[in-house]
Amino acid sequence: MAVTEQFLELAANGLVYSSIIILGSIGLSLIYSIAGFANFAHGDTMTVGAYATLIAFGAVGGAGFSILGLPLGFFVALVIGIVVTAAVALVTERLVYKPLDIGSIGLLITSIGVAFIYRALIQVQFSSDSRRFDIDRLRPIEPLVEYGIRITKHDIAIVISAVTLVVGLHVLLQHTDLGRKMRATADNPDLARASGIRIRRVELWTWVLGAGLAGAGGAFLGLFNLLAPRMGFSELLVIFAAVILGGIGSVYGAMLGGLLIGMIVSMTPLLSTVGIPIGGEYAAALAFIVMVLVLLVRPEGIAGEPVGGG
Amino acid sequence: MLAAGCVGTTDEDNGDGGSADDDGSADDDGSSGDGGGDQYSIGMVDSLTGSLADFGERNQRGVELALEDVNAIGIDDRELDIIVEDSEGNGQGGVAAAQKLVNQNNVPFLIGAVGSGVSLSIYESVIQGTDVVQLSQNSTGLALSEFPDLLRMSPSGQSQSAALADIVTEDGYDEVAITYINDEFGESLTDAFTGFYDGEVAFERAHDGEQASYSGLLSDMNGSGADAWLFITYQEEFATQVNNMFESGYEAQLYGADSNRGNTVISNTPEGSINGMKVVEPSAPVEQDSFQEFSSRFEEEHGEEPTVWSAFAYDCVITAALSIKAADEFTGSALSEVVRDVTRPEGEEVFSYEAAYEILDNDGTPSDIDYQGVSGPIDFNEDGDPVGTLQVLEVQNHEYVPIEFREG
Repeated sequence: MAVTEQFLELAANGLVYSSIIILGSIGLSLIYSIAGFANFAHGDTMTVGAYATLIAFGAVGGAGFSILGLPLGFFVALVIGIVVTAAVALVTERLVYKPLDIGSIGLLITSIGVAFIYRALIQVQFSSDSRRFDIDRLRPIEPLVEYGIRITKHDIAIVISAVTLVVGLHVLLQHTDLGRKMRATADNPDLARASGIRIRRVELWTWVLGAGLAGAGGAFLGLFNLLAPRMGFSELLVIFAAVILGGIGSVYGAMLGGLLIGMIVSMTPLLSTVGIPIGGEYAAALAFIVMVLVLLVRPEGIAGEPVGGG
Repeated sequence: MLAAGCVGTTDEDNGDGGSADDDGSADDDGSSGDGGGDQYSIGMVDSLTGSLADFGERNQRGVELALEDVNAIGIDDRELDIIVEDSEGNGQGGVAAAQKLVNQNNVPFLIGAVGSGVSLSIYESVIQGTDVVQLSQNSTGLALSEFPDLLRMSPSGQSQSAALADIVTEDGYDEVAITYINDEFGESLTDAFTGFYDGEVAFERAHDGEQASYSGLLSDMNGSGADAWLFITYQEEFATQVNNMFESGYEAQLYGADSNRGNTVISNTPEGSINGMKVVEPSAPVEQDSFQEFSSRFEEEHGEEPTVWSAFAYDCVITAALSIKAADEFTGSALSEVVRDVTRPEGEEVFSYEAAYEILDNDGTPSDIDYQGVSGPIDFNEDGDPVGTLQVLEVQNHEYVPIEFREG
């Protein structure tokens, strides 16, 4: 196969996968920067979103017109799924994280426990069998196949939806009051509090947004692949790599990191074609090596705050 | 990674308490291992979650039926109790589960595991060097044959690989592209296949489990030019791969091993996406009365026919129970002395726990019975492997249809 064709095919697939990773990494970065700890339950939060969307879609049904091969009901279910995920995160925060006064490492370990709880509850309810949304799978878009690009309308829907959500977040961060307060709190919590910002309010909104995006990512992951109790957890490592690569605390870094890691993982098979003997099975390893190399040169990540800086 | 190292062990007590049918007489025959006054407790490591969860679930169903049969009669007036732990389908989980069972519960007999790599890890890290008997319910990876004390109820994948190689050639393909799950099972069956296959292996690559997409892999397989594609992987991974193929517009003649055939694949892939695919798997003795009875009970209980894997799990429990009955005491070394003989060809052929128990109860020794399981004659050889037959299935109208039997 011609190199250009393979490049386009892998890049297109990579874009879809990256979209899902980005939805996870932004949420993780948000929570990391404002709640102050690495939330190991973030992958399973995505799983919660996927299953919540599944239930909602089962209730709403697939009637009505379709956009890009997805019934209107799916988008409605998606919104419900996002809301449910945010609610679950808020409840967890209130019941588990907030009362614990144990520092960020302690919270990290606690979040591992929370991850197990999410996963176990889902498994009790749904069994560990894989399942999928009741939406027919599609064939690749014909006119693109001759260029080597093999994606379906669903893939396009995933990318567009992810872009929409990310742009929406950007608008929120840059042009709304809440966004301004979030950025201020992330930058310097003490100063923010001193200038009258209600930190608690900002924290809660961060959880809502972070978990909501994760929930959307989970739903799309379920559409892209399958739903299984470990679906989100399986991607957690990659999402963490994306956040660290992009720089902890930077939402835009997380976006960039997610894109980079997702693309590297998806496009590794191209290397063998151009003569570099790194096989496709080393994709994940390659992504992490790139992350380490970047950190060696720039320990704060691409867009993070300099380590030890203000 | 921190999270990956953490193992959740779920304690599922499979021994149904019920009422121990005690007729009042003293039931203690002197020595007993663990298990307290009225139970013999053995351990089981099963893949209740993870890539192999389908098999885990089917196994538990077979185990339930077996416990019904065993505890209807009991073992010397005691019930059999099985403590089940989750391997999560991977080596770390399996080893942790086995450690718990052996070190905390002191079981002398361990049924485990499903994944071949998991069974090996358990054997090498926990069982080897102790006298605990290990009997794998579903592992078909070739390496288990190298450890004679690691018994298994499912035949070695060697015969599957040989059969697949023959079938691919018979179907007229002199080139094949192979992808296999990146573990002991996938590797060993693929190695055996390439050893048996006469044609050219145009493409061979391992893949990791539980990935969100295998598009890159499939793109390369497509680029290899081979029209026959062999997948040696698990159901969840294979379902993802089929969906990726469908959405990328790739077509090929598909072949698979026992591991990637099942309900998860059928219910999660589009109609027609795998039509014509051929799969080889161990076969149960479908003509045998005891199997047919097992099958109808299973169907009545669960609304579907049993897979051969449930039959293996069933036989593991029966074999364990018969070993306990036949052994001098409830310890690993005593059990390991009798476990093979209860199913070996010396002795009267018996087809149920009840029939076997009767002989043993009347001063029978293990060599007086030859338990024929619902999964086949068993007959552990010196490598700890059973005898088996194979079945070839073809996907027609998005359903698996048996098309022939082959000798194992």
